[in-house]
Amino acid sequence: MLRFRYLLSAMAAAMLIATTGTVQAEWPEKPIKLIVPFKAGGSSDQMGRVVQAGIKESEALPHPVTIVNVGGHYSIGARRVMEAKPDGYNFLLIHLALMGGQGSGALDFGWKDFAPVASVGEFCLMPMVRKDSGIDSLEQLLDQAKDKPDSLIFGANLGAINHMGGLMLQETTPGAKFRFVQIGGGTANYTALTGAQTAVTVLSGAEVTKFTRLPDGSENPDSQIKPLAYTGSERFSGLPDVPTTQELGYDVNFCIKSWFFAPKDTPQEAIDGFAAAIEKATQTDTYQDYLVKNGFANGIVTGEEMLEELQATWDRIEPIARLAAQK
Amino acid sequence: MDLNALFIAIQQILSTHALLMLLLGTGLGIVVGAIPGLTGAMLIALTLPLTFYMTPFNAVVLLVSMYVGAISGGLITATLMRMPGTPAAVMTTFDGYPMARSGRPGRALGLGITASFVGGLIAWVVLLTITQPLSILATRFGPFEYFSLIMMAMVLIASVSEGSLVKGLISGLLGMLISMPGVDPASGMPRLTFDWYVLNGGLQLLPVLIGTFAVSQIIADALDIGKVSQNSRVDSRGVLMSLADLRRHAVNMIRSSFIGTWIGILPGIGASIGSVVAYTAAKNISKTPEEFGKGSEEGIIASEAANNATVGGALIPLIAMGIPGSVIDAILIGALTIHSIQPGPTLFLTNADIVWGIIATCLLANIVMWLMMTSSVRYIAKLIYLPRSYVLPVVIVFCVVGSYALNNTMFDIWVMLGFGVIGFLLERAKIPLGPFVIGFVLAPLGEEKLRSGLMMTAGDITPMFTRPFSLAFTLAAVVLLVWPLYNDWRRRRANA
Repeated sequence: MLRFRYLLSAMAAAMLIATTGTVQAEWPEKPIKLIVPFKAGGSSDQMGRVVQAGIKESEALPHPVTIVNVGGHYSIGARRVMEAKPDGYNFLLIHLALMGGQGSGALDFGWKDFAPVASVGEFCLMPMVRKDSGIDSLEQLLDQAKDKPDSLIFGANLGAINHMGGLMLQETTPGAKFRFVQIGGGTANYTALTGAQTAVTVLSGAEVTKFTRLPDGSENPDSQIKPLAYTGSERFSGLPDVPTTQELGYDVNFCIKSWFFAPKDTPQEAIDGFAAAIEKATQTDTYQDYLVKNGFANGIVTGEEMLEELQATWDRIEPIARLAAQK
Repeated sequence: MDLNALFIAIQQILSTHALLMLLLGTGLGIVVGAIPGLTGAMLIALTLPLTFYMTPFNAVVLLVSMYVGAISGGLITATLMRMPGTPAAVMTTFDGYPMARSGRPGRALGLGITASFVGGLIAWVVLLTITQPLSILATRFGPFEYFSLIMMAMVLIASVSEGSLVKGLISGLLGMLISMPGVDPASGMPRLTFDWYVLNGGLQLLPVLIGTFAVSQIIADALDIGKVSQNSRVDSRGVLMSLADLRRHAVNMIRSSFIGTWIGILPGIGASIGSVVAYTAAKNISKTPEEFGKGSEEGIIASEAANNATVGGALIPLIAMGIPGSVIDAILIGALTIHSIQPGPTLFLTNADIVWGIIATCLLANIVMWLMMTSSVRYIAKLIYLPRSYVLPVVIVFCVVGSYALNNTMFDIWVMLGFGVIGFLLERAKIPLGPFVIGFVLAPLGEEKLRSGLMMTAGDITPMFTRPFSLAFTLAAVVLLVWPLYNDWRRRRANA
């Protein structure tokens, strides 16, 4: 008897699934795969996981988002999405590196080989010098790079974002030339600048806060480095005393966003649906806390607007990336 | 030295999930260290993918306690079966096994366990006191200092690892060679990828490590699966050392611990060498050198105090300079980078909690190891008779899962299997695997430092010979390379 009742309820459940199944014959019918072409734990991975958590928290999609980290060079994961079936269940999370690699010739594909979905979480950079360098402004820095070209040692990860950031600053002043040296990412550059092995570098706003401020927000007296400007269009909320490059009269805007892409020919319904889910995720507390903690700006751009934004970024980045490859 | 931070870290371990990691790590380390054919390097390489899902703090607690446990567990098998459970316990077989055969297995194990504990503690004190000053000194190191230090490390491991210098160098160079494909550090462009995009990121450390250490060992074990070893029965008589014993062996224990710590600090070489050097020193100093190899108490103590001391010693260059002090440390560096933590001089500043977590674990894991080993050595000893036909298939499954989990690419599994075969062949040719892995880990670092140094000076290499630290490291490297060759030549001339 008991067994019969189980059978009955199981049949009822099956019927329910069958009926809702026909109603939901639209996207998404199964979990969505988001490829992050970087190792777990990196900043792009964190962004992916926060959006994933936000989508879950806001119940924006009936199926979960699964994050797949593809390590090694970012081109490996990016290519995998490019070649994936455009069925609406494969997405990519990447940033400016994609354009850098395309512009320098390191990749034989680029952003135009994907369908844009959404762009979120902007952060910009700060040119940094030592406190005892005698350089007090961006103008002095660039003048020195012009008066003594190829002598100021600029710590960068060659071909990567901080290298392109440095080139972009250098290009505002005709004749200015830094000597770019392979150092690595933010922490390595902080060490090299503190040890006076390099004279200048760029760090993200969050990195500057971490390296130059005490946990209570006051200035760390042990820190030996200082920011000169912020490459965003508005001042960095964590360090409101630092002027933007545009305030200082330099036409530089160099910011990095997280881009969500889909393979070309993905159904518009899936692209719009995923973009809407990301937008809902950005409204959750989890996401907003993450932004504040990392010094990222709020906002989301999708559709045509994102395409225009990508084109504008590409126009600025392509010549710089080509320059980066010449070194 | 910030003792307050240390106490906070100890408290954090004892009051959270980290305690579970500590107990689990040490226990698993002892068991895996005790089972012949499974090594600490293998355990840690296979655990690494699991730590993605932990906080960085818990991950280091787990991995460091495994390190401590594995080095200690090896003595059980070495004593009872004359098979070193880990390579670091080779010297322990010389005296532990004869003593066990002569009817005193409990005594032999007890000496080893207590010596391991003391060695671990002494090295820990050194770790606690000199790491931070050394990291401050290391911030003054520029690319040339790092490059010459790395060169010295590579020559050092080639010249002192088991086998001949030439085979060590071959192994190291092979490791360097396979680290070359990927992104060129001086231009950001892919190189040596043969237009095969999966190689754009180079060969990944984890599949290479799992292949060379775990898979190669499985192949070797599977080939003589039927081999049965000599067993000794264990009772717990004499497992605890008396105070009089401690006093009698104090000098030897302390000396061997300091030798082990020092060998551990030297980049690239670890527990095996530490135990060989301490054993040799103890034998040369001993009043009864003829007993060594026949069941000498001093021999067991020297070997075990030193191999555990290398653990703490090897963590010093890892934390202070980001340079691995041993093969297992090379894997630990991989673990930290996966959690976006860059080992090196700034680690105290950027991730102080991790540093103190490592240091605190090193202390606590030694205490846990001592408690576990003295109380349960009899039961652990039974585990070593597990048939390998049950153990090996499980391990190979972990190898595949572990290699895939890092990057989610099938390519990594092929790399893992390929390096399993390569590692097996190298071992067959008596080419040591240590230099291979260290070369693989250090070559990219060395290349990047050299090339950034040359970019800073616009192509001028003279600073390498004019900066004092850099010159000292370079000279040491040359001496280490030439000395064994010269010795060899002199011996051959004397024979002729």
